[in-house]
Amino acid sequence: MTDEELMLAVCEGDRSAYQTIVNQHLKSISHYAFRILGNQKDTEDISQEVFLRLWINARKWNPEKAKLSTWLHRIAHNLCIDYLRKHGRVQTQESFEEEIEQISSSYGSNNDSSSDDGGKLQLLKQAMDLLPESQRSALSLCHYQGFSNKEAAAIMNISITALESAIARAKRSLRDQLLIVDEHKQGD
Amino acid sequence: MTIEEFTKLVETYGTESGQWPESIREECLSFLASNVEAQSLLTQHQELNELMNKIEVPEFPSLQSRVLNQALPEQDRSLFDQILDWLLPANNFGKQIWRPAMVACLPLVFGIVIGNFFSFGIGMENDGFSYWEDELTMLSLNDYSENLF
Repeated sequence: MTDEELMLAVCEGDRSAYQTIVNQHLKSISHYAFRILGNQKDTEDISQEVFLRLWINARKWNPEKAKLSTWLHRIAHNLCIDYLRKHGRVQTQESFEEEIEQISSSYGSNNDSSSDDGGKLQLLKQAMDLLPESQRSALSLCHYQGFSNKEAAAIMNISITALESAIARAKRSLRDQLLIVDEHKQGD
Repeated sequence: MTIEEFTKLVETYGTESGQWPESIREECLSFLASNVEAQSLLTQHQELNELMNKIEVPEFPSLQSRVLNQALPEQDRSLFDQILDWLLPANNFGKQIWRPAMVACLPLVFGIVIGNFFSFGIGMENDGFSYWEDELTMLSLNDYSENLF
């Protein structure tokens, strides 16, 4: 069955169609939510809410405007952003730069355990968690979820230029962290 | 092309040349082939991508059953659907009795609508109408309580 047929069935209250959609999209939605929220409990709550909204608002999906996966990711994105704002966990570029500097300097003073790829990976993971949400979302959607820049911009409700700028800033910041690791390695 | 432009391109569109805009792809590839700094930059980004791919998301073993078994409330329905549901209920009573009754009423409704819009030669200024209005007024004012005894 196509997404359109499944959603029509969901509109009629067909629970098996709902189950099929959940089975098809849950992994992708939960992974996206985890990359934005960073913890398991919140990810599960948000993922559950996404599919509840799909059930309630099934009639609002317009297949001519967006693919089902795009629509679902947009719901997930909005819920994640609302959640982060509500809980005061919004990162800015300034807070990112402050915190990443601390991590980098602590990495420099204690690089015995993290001079290998595992340490690099750990540093990269920390850096990704600290990225401003717009950059983290943009990177997650394009790199991990496989959306095109246009689709990712539609999910985040921003222009393609703004999205591309967010991706570029995120990648530059992350690459800078790897360069710091390499510099420490060369210094040893 | 400059190294800044190439950096922006790789940061925005990634390391795969197939994802670069077609209009400048050839130019970028020839710049890459001739510029050591660009090659180093591309390698750094390739390493970044590889490391990013190693960052895994944990499993959520109970999530699927949680989502599938959650209590699903009433769905949002448009006003038209709500009216239609009210007029034509989908339960057994609606299917067996109410819907046929509604269908049977359609000619009557159609007749009323047509009658409301077309006079069919009957003049509205007919004195008879004022008589009927008087009759209705009298009926409404009449006290029927005496008829009970």
